Amino acid sequence: MLTAADQGWLSDPVESGSAAGFGVYLHVPFCAHRCGYCDFATSDRHAGLIPRYVTALRTDIQRTVAGGPAAATGWPQVTSIFVGGGTPTLLDAGDLAGIVALVGSSLPLADDAEITVECNPESLRPGLFEALVDAGVNRISLGVQSFAGHVLSFLERQHTPDKPAETVAAARQAGIAQVSLDLIFGTPGETATDWHEALVRALELQPDHLSAYALTVHDNTRLGRQVAAGERPAPDDDVQRDRWDTAREVLGAAGFDHYEVSNWARTPSRRSRHNVLYWRHGDYLGLGVGAHGHLRGRRWWRTRSIEGYVDAVEAGRSLIAGSEQVTIDEQAEERLLLGLRLREGLHPRDVPPLTDEVVQDAADAGLLQLSCGRFQTTEQGWFLLDETVNRLT
Amino acid sequence: MTYPLERIRNFCIVAHVDHGKSTLADRMLQLTGLVDPRKMRDQYLDRMDIERERGITIKAQTVRMPYEPDTGPWAGEGEFLLNLIDTPGHVDFSYEVSRALNACEGALLLVDAAQGIEAQTIANLYLALDAGLEIVPVLNKIDLPAARPDQVAREVCSVIGGDPDDVLRISAKTGEGVQAVLDRLVGLVPHPVGDDEAPLQALIFDSVYDPYLGVLVYFRVKHGRLRKGDKIRLMATGFESEVDELMVVSPEPVAVDALGPGEVGYLSASIKEVSQAKVGDTVTLADKKRRAEHALPGYREPLAMVYSGLYPIDSDDFPLLRDALDKLRLNDASFTYEPETSAALGFGFRCGFLGLLHLEIVQERLDREFNIPLVTTAPSVRYRIKLEPEAISVEEPQEIEVSNPQDLPLPNKIASIWEPTVKAMILTPNEYVGAVMQLCEGRRGALLAMDYLTEQRVELRYKLPLGEIITDFFDQLKSRTRGYASLDYERDDYQESDLVKVDVLLNAEPVDAFSAIVHRDSAYEYGKAIVAKLKELIPRQMFDVPVQAAIGSRVIARETIKAKRKDVLAKCYGGDVSRKRKLLEKQKEGKKKMKSVGSVDVPPEAFVAALKVGSGGREISGS
Repeated sequence: MLTAADQGWLSDPVESGSAAGFGVYLHVPFCAHRCGYCDFATSDRHAGLIPRYVTALRTDIQRTVAGGPAAATGWPQVTSIFVGGGTPTLLDAGDLAGIVALVGSSLPLADDAEITVECNPESLRPGLFEALVDAGVNRISLGVQSFAGHVLSFLERQHTPDKPAETVAAARQAGIAQVSLDLIFGTPGETATDWHEALVRALELQPDHLSAYALTVHDNTRLGRQVAAGERPAPDDDVQRDRWDTAREVLGAAGFDHYEVSNWARTPSRRSRHNVLYWRHGDYLGLGVGAHGHLRGRRWWRTRSIEGYVDAVEAGRSLIAGSEQVTIDEQAEERLLLGLRLREGLHPRDVPPLTDEVVQDAADAGLLQLSCGRFQTTEQGWFLLDETVNRLT
Repeated sequence: MTYPLERIRNFCIVAHVDHGKSTLADRMLQLTGLVDPRKMRDQYLDRMDIERERGITIKAQTVRMPYEPDTGPWAGEGEFLLNLIDTPGHVDFSYEVSRALNACEGALLLVDAAQGIEAQTIANLYLALDAGLEIVPVLNKIDLPAARPDQVAREVCSVIGGDPDDVLRISAKTGEGVQAVLDRLVGLVPHPVGDDEAPLQALIFDSVYDPYLGVLVYFRVKHGRLRKGDKIRLMATGFESEVDELMVVSPEPVAVDALGPGEVGYLSASIKEVSQAKVGDTVTLADKKRRAEHALPGYREPLAMVYSGLYPIDSDDFPLLRDALDKLRLNDASFTYEPETSAALGFGFRCGFLGLLHLEIVQERLDREFNIPLVTTAPSVRYRIKLEPEAISVEEPQEIEVSNPQDLPLPNKIASIWEPTVKAMILTPNEYVGAVMQLCEGRRGALLAMDYLTEQRVELRYKLPLGEIITDFFDQLKSRTRGYASLDYERDDYQESDLVKVDVLLNAEPVDAFSAIVHRDSAYEYGKAIVAKLKELIPRQMFDVPVQAAIGSRVIARETIKAKRKDVLAKCYGGDVSRKRKLLEKQKEGKKKMKSVGSVDVPPEAFVAALKVGSGGREISGS
């Protein structure tokens, strides 16, 4: 059943670019344990830097708001804030809440802004969610990953399979409005039953949103090196496809809206507003270690080194480790590769000029369709997105 | 400065790859004061990037070094002129080596004191002995902990004779003993003899294409005198021209007015391509009255041993490839090419090479200097096919030569197939004799002889089909002997064999470029291995692709490349976007390098897959 909110910003008009909204991403790079598959800017060896990092991140927010790319013309209204990691909940609850609150007080914030904090089940502690709710946090994204002990252990996750239920209950109790769960599928050793059960148990927690990611082995990670050395098996593409099909089936039957390759929402209004912004090629600030920002075709990023970042903030040096001006053509290419991730697809005016020939070729291969005047992948073309985009560009 | 004949010593260095030849040459340049230590770079004499990177010498090089001996019979007698002629060291270039040896009176036999003498060294040593050269044996790398100079000295003497105690022991790396080597060369190597008044005869031992000067011809004067401005004639090709420049290398080029008997240098004479000035040819004067009557002995045309098809991935690049081959031919007279057509690959060239290393070098130069994305087909040899007289018309020839498997006539037209063979020499530590024999027998080898050089080291001589050793034989030999065995071979006769053509079908379409000629007994194994290899190398497509191997219409092996079902990034958030865009751009570049065969995208590596599959179907591990 669609609510009034479902008819709101998410549905119509579906805009690419700046019209899609304006988000703020904050990165917290600390973890109690760095998992072997992780390729984010995270560390389990820098806990001693946490107090300095909190101060640095606050300074980063203030400096960016005062001197950032839109400081002179006025900042757009913030429609979403996302605190990701790492493990943001490793921070003191008050510090974490303070950071969120500082963004809210420094920039114009939409009344219905989505404010998400990523959490790990093992970091549940009394008072955490209450403090976050007080600071305006209305959504958590919980790193469940699996309900099978042997899968959690392959992934080196630190929690037990029963912990997520407890955490979700605590969050709801404290007044967190929306709960999203992260799952990983296709881990070597995971059986079809393991995965089916993970989906069922996740649904029992009545989440508002679910992300289900195929385990990806990155070369520059410990797992990547282990796989390359033959010490651990690599995930199997066919198995991952089977798992994805299962997720579509189980979550679809439960009434979830499969709106992006790896993301499902209980109703359209429960889609991740912040992440939709990325896929609609919207604008966002990226603050903290390794974070990327994007504003109308200009992209910039912070260093991935925690020490480097803290030092630069404390010394008053520039925090921009690199930047690029994405050309008009490249922007169109990005909109295509991002927009086709979404079920809604994108309007022909937002994609690079495509010849009838390549569109026909992708359609003939069963990858692409034109539906309601928009380019969309077919069911088949969705999980073959790279092939689809390659054929089009 | 000119030197009388008695004061000249011409020598080369016979050594195995990695035994320290270039390092020793570097040390000699420093010791004779020719190169300022600050300007010294490693492998000073190697000119091409490929030579430096691979640590091998492809082109011959020469350098003249004035030197006053310190010890020996000529100590205190003043200055001598040492001409070092640096030769290629690989079996592919043994003809070039033999010409360079003929330009010398002495050869420094350089052997790694840890590794011992190798087959290639022995082969080149025999060439040097055949050319009547004085051999000066030297053990290098005595500074290595693994060095066993006494044993290796005995090994060397078992081949060349002499007293092991007389073998010099040096370290080219540290410079220890290098001076004694120079003294020994002055003392032992005979001075050149030649008649200054006789008609000019100079031996070409290399020619190199220079984009500014044209072809530079490296030669050694045997008789007579060559002067700048002389009108010369190259006796094999009949090419005539005027000498623009006459140079010696010391080690930078120095212009001279004339060069007489025993002297070594190079000339430029508006020669456009190296095929006009071939290695082994004789330079004389054009003037009929002053011209030499006979050329120097030993010249022969280069002989291709290995053939491979080169095809541009983008068929629009065909004219570019032709231009590139034309240009390459300017400075490499020993490879041949002629246009051919493949149903799968379109227009390309069938190229002939001296050997596999030569093929790799040409391939690398095409890539490096001309940047044309290419498909190279599996290397093959040239077969002789005797045709069934009753199956052909009277106008057709009775016998044809085929270097491309796709040109093999239908079985009913073939009376017999003859394949080229080689005589191979393999040196191995005795504990690997069994492994080496097993390898050679698996390749249809016939044992000719087996000799013990020392108690530990064995020389095996085999007759082997050339087609069996041009793919992975050397790699296999190395891996079965933990790198200790070495190989050299020379061309032998043709033998009749029971050979068949194995075809490969991709998505039910025969792909001519994958066809191979193999022995009937190993055809089944080969078919299994090649389809397995192709399954591994060809990426999954949007549909199932059957891969089959067949003899005629009989399928002997089959695999299926399953349609791909996943090709997507699980996560794509803020920081991933530009990375993903660049990744896709890179993938597109990769896709451009794929050759579309029928409706299947095939990566270029797949076309040389047979390289990794032994002709007996053995899958080669490692890379």
